[in-house]
Amino acid sequence: MTDATLPALLESAGLTGRGGAAFATHVKIAAATHAGADLIVNLCDGELGAAKDGWVVTHHLPEVVAGASLVTSRRGRRIRYAAHRGSATASRLAAAGLDVLEVPARYVSSEETALVSLAHGHLARPMTKRDRFVSGGRDSAGHTIEPTVVLNAETVWRVAQIADRGAPWFRSFGTAAEPGPRLVSVSRSRPSGMPPLPASARAREDEHLGHFVPRAERDGGTCRARGESPASARARQNAHLGHFDSPIVLETEAGVPVSELLRRGGIPDDHGAILLNGLGGAFLTATEARGALWCGAGLTAYGTGIGPGVIHALDPRGCPLAWVRDVLAWAGGESAGQCGPCLFGVPALARDWAALVASPTPELLAQVRSRVALLPGRGACRYPDGVAGFAASALRVFEADLVAHRSGRCAGGIPVDRPITSERKAHAGV
Amino acid sequence: MPVSEQVTQRELRIDRVACSGHGVCASLLPQRVRLDEWGYPILAGPHPSDHDGERAIRWCPARALYWAPTPG
Ligand code: SF4
Ligand code: SF4
Repeated sequence: MTDATLPALLESAGLTGRGGAAFATHVKIAAATHAGADLIVNLCDGELGAAKDGWVVTHHLPEVVAGASLVTSRRGRRIRYAAHRGSATASRLAAAGLDVLEVPARYVSSEETALVSLAHGHLARPMTKRDRFVSGGRDSAGHTIEPTVVLNAETVWRVAQIADRGAPWFRSFGTAAEPGPRLVSVSRSRPSGMPPLPASARAREDEHLGHFVPRAERDGGTCRARGESPASARARQNAHLGHFDSPIVLETEAGVPVSELLRRGGIPDDHGAILLNGLGGAFLTATEARGALWCGAGLTAYGTGIGPGVIHALDPRGCPLAWVRDVLAWAGGESAGQCGPCLFGVPALARDWAALVASPTPELLAQVRSRVALLPGRGACRYPDGVAGFAASALRVFEADLVAHRSGRCAGGIPVDRPITSERKAHAGV
Repeated sequence: MPVSEQVTQRELRIDRVACSGHGVCASLLPQRVRLDEWGYPILAGPHPSDHDGERAIRWCPARALYWAPTPG
């Protein structure tokens, strides 16, 4: 295949990036070929509850390698495979003799430009996109960045499939707007109070959940920032996020009902709200999820889309406001801590959300809303934008829970400080 | 299309990694930049003139301001 035919083939197939941004793959590959860019295949499963990159490595690694060499048709272009340090994915890649780029298991470390920065020997932190790094450029400190393109593992696998089976085969799946077969990761929160998972299942969970495993534990040492041992980091993590069942990875296509994916993923019918696409995604109520189609058109009204293909069901017996509180508290430590909205804005949102859950006054609600409004468009990467969308959709979907908290009730039995309402003030004579 | 839009092919952006929240930009470009409670800039309002933009770029202590082609 020549340099020009692959992009034309991918364009007729309609392949878009499977990492979440859904950018046209042929445009990226044409630019990368033009610049002679190095390739990084992203296998980090960076989103909350994502597991498909690991699945691709387990089941289709030879095709990923074939796809990567198609993408870098000219010789002399380096191919690296990015995976979280210490993950099962990283060991599988190393065992296959591939060039592994070991990535710290933090949420934003697997952002595209963070991987490019890491590949250049700098920190795994997103870079300001003054330049399109596919053609090379400079980071904020003035370091030269060589032309580099980042493609998600599933995307690279699809490239090999399309080269092998043709564009019409690819287009026989999905919708006209979102063609092709797709992977989706389905998981659920385990009810609180259930016994911890057995060690073997925990290992599986660690492998799948990627960044759910505390950073310190992954790095095999004490978390310097918090002066914490891996075990206590693990305890904190569990306290924060509850136990997650191992995500199940399904092969599917755009346009299927969300309820079908939940059923195939083994989620019981009485599930709570559904979080699509993790920390960068949005919630649907259980009722909305029952009626929604899994495609851009079906999900845009809820503020998300197919994205990186992650579906998570909340436990119907837990307090969803507290669940969001725990995720936001965790999110405050997952940024690269270099831009204003992440240094201050996300932690402030997490604090105010926690206060709101405990005591839902109109003032705190207004404060949370204004914090959310100030996050988007103000970081070097879209992490704060994602957190803002996550929190905004939580405010919409869990409005009834907020009202219940105001009257001192909580589905999950969280103690709620009853705000002093004007009637109660009058009643108490204050 | 108004003449000004045809001429403005670039816009002033902030390198958020480099920005250290000095707030000089907000005092030089009060129409376009305000600061959040921690001193980090928020862009809103009319785009600055080339002259004002250039001046802010020169005076930003973190060299975080730059021109970028307007998207679209
Ligand atoms: S916006 Fe946040 S996560 Fe993104 S680069 Fe800046 S500090 Fe890091
Ligand atoms: S003057 Fe420069 S460093 Fe200061 S707030 Fe503005 S952009 Fe940031």
